[in-house]
Amino acid sequence: MTTISLDNLDNIKYKTEIRQKTAKPLLWIGLMSIVMFFAGLTSALIVSKSNSIWIKLEVPSMFFVSTILILFSSLTYQLSLSFTKNNQLKFATITTILTFVLGISFTVTQFYAWQQLYHSGVFWAGEQSNPSGSYFYALTALHLLHLFAGLISLLVVVTKSILKKYSPTTILGIQLSLTYWHFLTALWVYLFFFLKFIA
Amino acid sequence: MIALVAIVAVLLVIATAVQILKIAELRATESGKEIYEISAKQSKAQALLLMVFLVAYFGFFAWQVWKWGGLMLPVSASEHGVGVDELMNITLWFIIPVFIITHIFLFWFSYKYSFSETRKALFFSHSNKLEMFWTIIPSIALTVLILVGLSNWNKIMTPVASEQEHILIEVYGQQFSWTARYAGKDGKLGRASVEYIEGVNALGIDISDENAKDDKIVKGEFHLPKGVPVQFVFRSQDVMHSAYMPHFRAQMNVVPGLKTQFNFIPTITSEEMKKITNNENFEYILLCNKICGAAHYNMQMDIVVESKEDFEKWLAEQKEFSAE
Amino acid sequence: MSAHQHPHEEQDFLFKYVFSQDHKMISKQFLITGFIMGFIGLSMSTLFRLQLGFPGESFWIIDFLLGSWAENGVMLPDKYLALVTMHGTIMVFFLLTAGLSGTFSNLLIPLQIGARDMASGFLNMLSYWFFFVSSVIMLISLGVEGGAASAGWTIYPPLSALPQAIPGSGLGMTLWLVAMAIFIASSLLGSLNYIVTILNLRTKGMTMTRLPLTIWSFLITAIVGVISFPVLLAAALLLVFDRSFGTSFYLSDIYIGGQVLEHAGGSPILFEHLFWFLGHPEVYIVLLPALGITSEIVSTMSRKPIFGYRAMITSMLAIGFLSAIVWGHHMFVTGMNPFLGAVFTFTTLLIAIPSAVKVFNYITTLWKGNIKFSPAMLFSVGLVSTFISGGLTGLILGDSTLDINVHDTYFVVGHFHIVMGLSGIFGMIAGVYHWFPKIFGRMLNNNLGNVHFWITIVSAYGIFFPMHFLGLAGVPRRYYTNSEFPLFDNLFDINTLITWFAILAFFGQLIFFFNFVYSALRGPKAPQNPWKGNSLEWTTGVKHIHGNWPGEIPTVYRWPYDYSKLNDNGDYVTGEDFIPQTVPLADGEKDGGEH
Repeated sequence: MTTISLDNLDNIKYKTEIRQKTAKPLLWIGLMSIVMFFAGLTSALIVSKSNSIWIKLEVPSMFFVSTILILFSSLTYQLSLSFTKNNQLKFATITTILTFVLGISFTVTQFYAWQQLYHSGVFWAGEQSNPSGSYFYALTALHLLHLFAGLISLLVVVTKSILKKYSPTTILGIQLSLTYWHFLTALWVYLFFFLKFIA
Repeated sequence: MIALVAIVAVLLVIATAVQILKIAELRATESGKEIYEISAKQSKAQALLLMVFLVAYFGFFAWQVWKWGGLMLPVSASEHGVGVDELMNITLWFIIPVFIITHIFLFWFSYKYSFSETRKALFFSHSNKLEMFWTIIPSIALTVLILVGLSNWNKIMTPVASEQEHILIEVYGQQFSWTARYAGKDGKLGRASVEYIEGVNALGIDISDENAKDDKIVKGEFHLPKGVPVQFVFRSQDVMHSAYMPHFRAQMNVVPGLKTQFNFIPTITSEEMKKITNNENFEYILLCNKICGAAHYNMQMDIVVESKEDFEKWLAEQKEFSAE
Repeated sequence: MSAHQHPHEEQDFLFKYVFSQDHKMISKQFLITGFIMGFIGLSMSTLFRLQLGFPGESFWIIDFLLGSWAENGVMLPDKYLALVTMHGTIMVFFLLTAGLSGTFSNLLIPLQIGARDMASGFLNMLSYWFFFVSSVIMLISLGVEGGAASAGWTIYPPLSALPQAIPGSGLGMTLWLVAMAIFIASSLLGSLNYIVTILNLRTKGMTMTRLPLTIWSFLITAIVGVISFPVLLAAALLLVFDRSFGTSFYLSDIYIGGQVLEHAGGSPILFEHLFWFLGHPEVYIVLLPALGITSEIVSTMSRKPIFGYRAMITSMLAIGFLSAIVWGHHMFVTGMNPFLGAVFTFTTLLIAIPSAVKVFNYITTLWKGNIKFSPAMLFSVGLVSTFISGGLTGLILGDSTLDINVHDTYFVVGHFHIVMGLSGIFGMIAGVYHWFPKIFGRMLNNNLGNVHFWITIVSAYGIFFPMHFLGLAGVPRRYYTNSEFPLFDNLFDINTLITWFAILAFFGQLIFFFNFVYSALRGPKAPQNPWKGNSLEWTTGVKHIHGNWPGEIPTVYRWPYDYSKLNDNGDYVTGEDFIPQTVPLADGEKDGGEH
């Protein structure tokens, strides 16, 4: 219920107020659409499972490492927010960078995991492929694609954090990035258990 | 040249229309009004037209029923189809009165309450009783429709029990033709897959399968016996097709990589249907009803329904797969 | 006074008209792009109606417009399918989804809830430009080698996956998928903005139960969109993988072009499930805004409150919810589990209840009203008629047993064109007539509007009503010609009649386009509140300003439907027959339609 008058429509204060008010809901509803996207894909897998040539696949061991890394990264990112809130900006910067590094390591382990899959004879496509294998690649790759967006947002936060743009009161950017990052973690954990137990 | 003339003509029409609009606006302004204001007279004229439209709409509906009613599909030639048609009639007897009554109210109110300077509209914003009433009435009507519909549905969708006497036919779809394969004496269809397609073996039948030896493949037209349950299984070679046999109220998609099925009991022979429809050239037909490519519009196969004896005679004349 | 007082005047052309972040300009952009796409879609349908009405006859216009898609003035069979596919895609997505929601959500949400602009002007601008790029790619796909996508707007694989099956499944289909992916992004960005703006940026006093029904319909539409469009994206992505990388999500056991494909283990039915999980809600993404728009118009032009405001909202919520659990009724004949078929029949027929409530409420709103028939009102009455006529046949198609015999026949074509196509377009056109003064600051010509309405409704029913009869005679849809079957020979007149009506409908729309262009440029200047409406958009000036209201945003004190409200003496409360939302409640006066 905004009561800003026209005079200051284009000024920073008005824009900040609207941003404060709407940025989080925008993100949440955006997340809802991503949830539906993956819900669509995973229910597709459940439908495909009834096919006669479906093979039950073992989750490659690297995915366990991925899971631990991403859980850990969520933790460090959360810490970074608390540090910023307590005005311990140095620690905040360090934990943000750590989160970024963990994010990159997660990405690396994903590639390793795909290599593991490939060497165990699970192919993405082609004559020897099976939809069960294709789903493994597709789901994880699409998650990784979303993670890249998260990494970009992290990069922005890292840069701004190094440039000391954050203070205990200006943390909206971190909160948004953090929410998205937690979401990616949750999504990964869901996909991991889904692939392990249902696929 | 034609294009040039056409362009000039269109420009002239537009220019004329613009001038007419301008003049109309000027006239309205001169008489002290704005052209966009809607007078009671204009409103009444439109309301009257709505009434004329209502009559014309119903008239058009009646005219269509009168003119084309006789061109619809004839009586169902399958046992379950009679039930389908009955349900259709029940539904239509529900739909058409609702259609007529709601339209009468809609247009009558539009006409009756069209704008007048003197009348005041009634401030009537809600009424729980009324709203309850027209939530409950459709609910009851729908419950009836759903119940009748579902009992039919379950009957139709139950496959023929294997111990019951029946004919087993595989209908095979490909761009852009149909082929039928009868199970033969053993009552079993031989294994088949696209991998076995080679030369004359266009249906991809596994030659090594014992069940396949007595299968009978027919093209162009296939026959069905009257009064015997027919179990269809459907297989596609390339893209999705849909096996639609309108006279039997039967339809099932034909999907590559998936076996679908449908069954019905034919009840009227082709000869009998010729008499019913008063049409010497009448043929039952199987057509494709799922977009499948350029010649989708011409993917068909004739169906002949005959007495059981005639059918057996015809089937005996067909060559067994192993003989080809 | 700050230096920022008139920032809008400093904007240069590029940022004012092209990369504008102002919701009113974006609304115009959606409207015009949508109408251009709609005109293309309409022209396509007129062309293929020529083929259906006069199969095999040569037409100069077909030769002229279709070029290599036709031979001696007769279109080729696979290009007929390309035209049908593109007509469906353009009409459903580009005109009735983006064109309708994009125009009116953008125009009305900030204006009717009392906000300066959308939550994020930037995302909003992005939404339009994604839509624009998507439209351009879709149009480019018409000109590529092999022709545009030809597998029907539902792009069922394997047909849509295999260029060997139909040439349009080559590059044309690839571009179709790219365009749709961008379109989905556009739609999601739009929906995010609509939802957040409605929930967070309402002016003081604008509670949820004081929102006009338009806003409620946009809100529910946007939520349905956010839930279902991502699933279509998922479906399309898997199709892309199958087409371009050789995975087997949808494909299995296929022999085509003399060889067995290496795909194994997929199922085309999976695609149908995913597609219709969007596809059916999509119907309501089209319908709900149209219903919202006409609710507003019917109430305003009848000078009566909309009857059963809360019931209208509840039924829209119910429709929105049910729309997500009925998709299976498109798949009754795919060999689905009969029990599942029964469940989908049940949920589908349930939708009839809220729909019936809406119809009865419309009719009761007319009762004892004082109805001014503007073209917008005529189209609204037309919408109620099409919604009834088309909705009732849904009871036949939604019933799994009856669907067996009418599935994919012309009965379906008649049904959905009336209930979704006509209702959607009637709602959109009604909205344009009603809010034209708000969009362009000028008035449309009423006489031309009336002529447009009469030609449209007569030709529309003339086209689509006879299709039910074709369907009941067993004529399948998407047939290039019906002349190959002796069975259909005596149905020839029906097709010819439909085509004549289609030609009439086409020329009728030209009147509208002329009126639109002429009035936008030269029409008489609009007053601020031409229809004497209550809602907030009529409190803004005719000239658009950035931020919508000079000074404070007005506060809202009542619901938007206080028309012809009388005081105890039997006089109008304010002396006129309407009380804008900005007028405070009198002592002891109840809000929200209490007597």
